[in-house]
Amino acid sequence: MVDHPAVEVDGLHVGYGSTPVLVGVSLTVPAGQGVCVVGENGIGKSTLLRCVSGLQQPDEGTIHVFGGDPGATPEFWRAVVTTVEPPTWYPGLTAREHAELVCRAHGQDPSSAGVDEALERFGLAGHADAIPPSLSSGQKQRLVLAIALLRPSSLLILDEPEQRLDREGRADVAGLLADYVAGGGSLLMASHDDSFAEASGASITTMESLAS
Amino acid sequence: MTVVPLAPVRRWISRTQSAHRERGATLGSLYVGALSIAIIGGMFHRQVAEIFWPPRPDASALAAASLVAVIYGLLYLALRRLGPLALSRPAASWLLPAPVSRRRLLLPSLRITGIVAAVIGAVAALAITGHAAPRSEAGDEVALLVGSGALIGLALLLVATAAQAGGRWGDALDRLIGLVFAAGLGGLVASTALDGTGTISGWPTPAVLMPVVAVGAVVVLVALAVVIRGLAATPSDRILEASRTAGTLFDTAFGIEPSFLTDMIERRYWARRQLRSTTLFPRLPVLVAQDVLLTLRRRGRLLWLLLGASLPVLLSSGPGWVLGAAVLVGCLIAGMTATGNVKTDAGNPVLLRLLGLSSRQAVMQRLWIPGILAAIWAASTLTLLDVLGDLSSGPWWALGLVLGPMGAAAAVHRSRVGFVRNELLPLDTPMGTLSTGPLVNAIMGPDMLLLGIPAWIAIAQGRVDWSVVLIQAVIAGAGARFYLVGTTSDERTELAH
Repeated sequence: MVDHPAVEVDGLHVGYGSTPVLVGVSLTVPAGQGVCVVGENGIGKSTLLRCVSGLQQPDEGTIHVFGGDPGATPEFWRAVVTTVEPPTWYPGLTAREHAELVCRAHGQDPSSAGVDEALERFGLAGHADAIPPSLSSGQKQRLVLAIALLRPSSLLILDEPEQRLDREGRADVAGLLADYVAGGGSLLMASHDDSFAEASGASITTMESLAS
Repeated sequence: MTVVPLAPVRRWISRTQSAHRERGATLGSLYVGALSIAIIGGMFHRQVAEIFWPPRPDASALAAASLVAVIYGLLYLALRRLGPLALSRPAASWLLPAPVSRRRLLLPSLRITGIVAAVIGAVAALAITGHAAPRSEAGDEVALLVGSGALIGLALLLVATAAQAGGRWGDALDRLIGLVFAAGLGGLVASTALDGTGTISGWPTPAVLMPVVAVGAVVVLVALAVVIRGLAATPSDRILEASRTAGTLFDTAFGIEPSFLTDMIERRYWARRQLRSTTLFPRLPVLVAQDVLLTLRRRGRLLWLLLGASLPVLLSSGPGWVLGAAVLVGCLIAGMTATGNVKTDAGNPVLLRLLGLSSRQAVMQRLWIPGILAAIWAASTLTLLDVLGDLSSGPWWALGLVLGPMGAAAAVHRSRVGFVRNELLPLDTPMGTLSTGPLVNAIMGPDMLLLGIPAWIAIAQGRVDWSVVLIQAVIAGAGARFYLVGTTSDERTELAH
């Protein structure tokens, strides 16, 4: 995997109807590094992330994730975690049990994977027994990020992870993302917060600079 | 604070809305509605008359008492689920927070639900009387019994309205009425098993009925006055909840999309539960462990399922093919008790992507618990029919157990269906245009019950031997296997078809 860049996008064109959103976008995220795409609302950051995640087909252009095509295969999703789309939580499962379920599906022992520590770190220790739909939007965002960072992965694709987090939460999440990158993980994210992106260990690039 | 008069506001809303509506649109809708009822009534009036007033009474005293418990219990529980007092969603958004009289705001809702509850109560009383009362000349007695049915309907509405505004006693009463409903179902099964002995031989005289109905009417009137006085104290959250329910019901009917309603019920159920995190059973595959946990957390449902195993007994005197079909449909329902997670994954695969499991792994694991539930349900119901002598003796329990894979495949298939596809081409028929989307949606799931044809034939004929069990086992097992292989892949995570 490390022989290839984590993400390689070349000549990407995407439009909604007659409205072009991405025109000739190219981007490289080297393996083990972080890139944060910034830009105003509606400029196509989320569309780019959706295409890289394989959740949207571009009209033109090529995308490679670790040298392969992004897709819907279980292997792809074992390497890649994305928060581009919000999850629908399982009914009747608590926040902690969601985290445990994801760990177990990846062959991790939940006790040694540090489920409780992750919830504690994201300020959710007091809400471990809550069902996720009952959490506030900020707490749900923390839970998604806690689970995303808990399971093993090689690439994180995060759409505005700082959204709905308070200032302290942003600093904590930025620190955890920096640790993830320092530990060899790759990171592609979109954000409106430059200081958050810098603290996450990601290099900042604008959408305008990606277009040819 | 000054209370703003509500009537002018409502009149203004109505006037403004009708100004934007096509001329005569409301009249047109009323005409179509009335015409549909007239056509359907004209086509089926004989069958409808037989449901309410069969040529000969066919229910025992026990069956009649059980029907009272079942129908009025169900009416109360339905009223509680619906509110019973609700506002339209726009009214809940704009008029509920406005400085208007809450009593006046809720009175139209009370009026409409009152009429509906009274009509249902009266019609139920007519049907029960028609099935259980002797066929001697009786006029006043029937009128009084029907009137008392309407009063019971109204009384139930008033209790439900008080419970909507009241405290925890409402939940306790719901549980009690649930038990009454269950006892009624049990009574119906018992009366069928006893073969209708103990019929009602005489009418209560009008001299006895009249004072009872009169006292009942006075009590209901007094209760109505008390409830109207207390309407202003109905908490906003309860009205909002009921309005969302009414809106979702409207969406369900308008979009012919039952999942709107079932999803809402599911969400509300879990929002009220207090859960404590537990460890998933480590020896089981992860999704099986999750399904076990979810099933154990809904023990009430399991109890209802167990009770439901006795319901096919009610059909034992009917044609055998109906009984067979009921057992197969029961397997589907039993299996669907544990497919909530499949529905979540089929609707939104985000969590499956996080889990990193292939659709084949996921569906394989998700088939286990529905299969076990369907097998136990079918084995219980067929054993009961065998013990009661409705089927000739044979290995019925084994036939029930081998229906498990069929129930699992049908339940999982049903839960993966997703939304109704309204873009499918409609069919033009002599009776009018038929939307194929809801039709296709409705048969997905039940279509897998065709895997139970050997069992269906055996139940219809009332005979079973080990060769039938073996044939059924092979067909159900192979069918479930084909379903798994044909609709999933090791190369994708998405569950939706």
